[in-house]
Amino acid sequence: MNAQFKSTILQDFRKTAANPVNVSLQEWKKSGRKIIGCMYHYIPEEIITAAGMLPYRMKAVGSKGTELSESCFTQINCGFVRHLFDSGVRGELGFIDGLVSVNNCDHIRRFYENWQKKIKTPYMHFMPFPKKSGREQAEVYRKELADFKNSLEKHFNVQITDTKLKKAIELHNETRRLQRELYELRKKKNPPITGADVHAVMVASSSMPKEKYNTMLTGLLEELYTGEGISDYSERIMVVGGELDDPKFIEVIESQGCLVVADSLGYGYRAIAEDVDTDIEPLTALAEYHVLKRPACPRIFGTTFNRNDFVRHIAEEFKVDGVISVRLPLCDEWSFEQVNLIGYLKKHGIPHLTLDIDYILSSTGQIKTRSQAFLETISGTKHGR
Amino acid sequence: MTTKPIRGLERYYEYRERWKAIISDMEKSPVPNPALLALFRLFLENDEKTIDCAENNKPFLSSWYGNAPEIYAAMGIHYICVVDNLLAHQSFTDDLAGIDANIVPDDMCGLIKLGAYAVEKGLVPTPTGMIAMLEPCDAQSVLHESWINNDAWKDVPYFALDPAYRSGKEDFEYFVGELRRMIAFLENLTGIKLDWNRLREVIEETNKQYEIWDEYNQLRRAVPCPGGSFQGSGIGWAISQHIMAGHPGATDLFRMLLADEESRYKANKGWLEKENSRVLWADLIGTVNAPIGEWLEKEHGTVVVQDFQGYTPYSHIDTSTEESMLLGLAKRNLAEVPMIRQARGNVDVFIEDVIRIVEDYKIDCVFFPGHVGHKDQSASVGFLREACRELGVPLLVLTMDIFDPRYLPMDKFTHIVNEFFETHKLGKFK
Repeated sequence: MNAQFKSTILQDFRKTAANPVNVSLQEWKKSGRKIIGCMYHYIPEEIITAAGMLPYRMKAVGSKGTELSESCFTQINCGFVRHLFDSGVRGELGFIDGLVSVNNCDHIRRFYENWQKKIKTPYMHFMPFPKKSGREQAEVYRKELADFKNSLEKHFNVQITDTKLKKAIELHNETRRLQRELYELRKKKNPPITGADVHAVMVASSSMPKEKYNTMLTGLLEELYTGEGISDYSERIMVVGGELDDPKFIEVIESQGCLVVADSLGYGYRAIAEDVDTDIEPLTALAEYHVLKRPACPRIFGTTFNRNDFVRHIAEEFKVDGVISVRLPLCDEWSFEQVNLIGYLKKHGIPHLTLDIDYILSSTGQIKTRSQAFLETISGTKHGR
Repeated sequence: MTTKPIRGLERYYEYRERWKAIISDMEKSPVPNPALLALFRLFLENDEKTIDCAENNKPFLSSWYGNAPEIYAAMGIHYICVVDNLLAHQSFTDDLAGIDANIVPDDMCGLIKLGAYAVEKGLVPTPTGMIAMLEPCDAQSVLHESWINNDAWKDVPYFALDPAYRSGKEDFEYFVGELRRMIAFLENLTGIKLDWNRLREVIEETNKQYEIWDEYNQLRRAVPCPGGSFQGSGIGWAISQHIMAGHPGATDLFRMLLADEESRYKANKGWLEKENSRVLWADLIGTVNAPIGEWLEKEHGTVVVQDFQGYTPYSHIDTSTEESMLLGLAKRNLAEVPMIRQARGNVDVFIEDVIRIVEDYKIDCVFFPGHVGHKDQSASVGFLREACRELGVPLLVLTMDIFDPRYLPMDKFTHIVNEFFETHKLGKFK
């Protein structure tokens, strides 16, 4: 592609996304401050930030295997938890001072208990998250957030005031705002950045102090506004999926000549589409954000219709030619999501490809072949062939 | 004039005729099995009700066992569980081949695939309303999600019960709130008001059923076990949760099961002449149980004494007030019914149940089927190994689909068990 510009900021983001540990994390740790591992995106990271700690979204990028998780999991458990647990047993995530999790899925809820038993991170906290979205559920989750806040305060001997919480919410909202600005650039006919690089920027945000991240992203945006756009691509593609934390997958798709210009991913647009309300009591705002406001993942019952509309809306806004949806094998939550999405996109005439990909990317040949065939089909349709 | 066939009823007519034929053949037998006859009559009656509702525009629901079916039974609203008949008639249909052609991923549970297939292919009538169950597994929730996305069911009004994860007072109270919201939904949908006295009657009948089931289970602690493998589990669950809750016919059937077992117990007789080993099957029994139980008994003189489907320790519900009834139903449906009991919350209940069953039922070894749909249980295998080690009982960890016998074919299963028994000197190697 013709706009692989040499931004050092972007290189830092790429490095951060490609490794479990990064320079900012090491600096943070060296200064004696705490890091809290977060299992999945329903954790209100703002509470951790308000406690003066760094929220770290758990990932096992670069994991070499799952051998050390075999005594606790079987082959019907997903690659994400098995690689992550293996990394934990090996001590590669030993920099976290605490772990907080929700019962996001059957794999993750048992992951938490296995971690608690075998790895013994000093601080552990578990929060049940409702399985549907409604006022009563937001109230129930607010109570959980209050317990979480109290537990952090007690264990780490810190005070999380409403003022600190509001400040943290504003900081995280600023991150989301900057990220949305980045996404806006992708709407251009010639976007200045590849989909893989945007994904690296997004993933990096989950393992860096937000202040530093925001400064870096502001700098990157300045560079991108003056940068050359990418014009030598064939189709504009959108990627849909869950906990995809490796930009390499998008790189593989883009290696076939297309440009990924939009997404509905756990680390992507679903995480930034909405802000947390700053005009109401902070814990209520956070509970409402997670239960009622932000685009839900398939774990929340009854949300497909909104999510499908969300995908179509983005596809239209970013002028997408086709959608590729991905699922980690053995993930039940994303199984029917793909089935439902296929039907929906078919009805709306949006070309669609589904892929099952391993958490640690393998079989790239197959991904390339299938993506290429998909892109050729779209191209043929576009040109009336 | 021809009338348009009602979607899904063709299959139900088939079920009805099959039950009638089976019942008629059994009645002609010189020694009919009264318990089986009673069971099949209950199934027939249930299917006839479904047909009547669909043919005559009477309200009926699609629901699931953990949704407090006592409530709609009390409202006189008929309900179906989409997969029940598919499982009961599995050996007479080509549904398993049908799910292979479906676009649902292969790595999902057979039951879930069957459920999606049934609605997609129109093997069940479209209900008036749906009560979705969001527990105990991820797949259960997304199966219901797939139904509301299906063209045939897209206009079916639905309500989903959000389960609490823990089992504290506040959690049960939250679920009581969910049950109240479900009642409001049903009243609004059907125009039928819940009669709390009728609910009391239904619950009291189910209390009786569960007391008898408990007595039946207590007898199975005896060595030798007075009942056969998986006996009671399949029947008990079907008649208490999968047909109209609180049906007096089901209570009679429980009495029959108890009397049959009691007669052997009092005569100090086991189900087998010589009982070599006693097994705990640590999961639901699915549809693979019959040949497995038969083979274990014949080949190894081994009885599957208990399983998670039959073990459920239902407690008595206090029917004195509306609140006590709803609280009792919340506890029953969140913390007692099979699978939800062991899978909904944290791993403790699963392990505690294994420990208690092994000790109370004098179990010699534990079979963990590793059902492909129970991802939480497969991620509990480390805890299970440790518990079995501490108990001093051998553990056999399998990987199978308990609703699709093709996943682990019988010859492979027997090979694995033979090796396991030989290693641990169990069954015929004892």
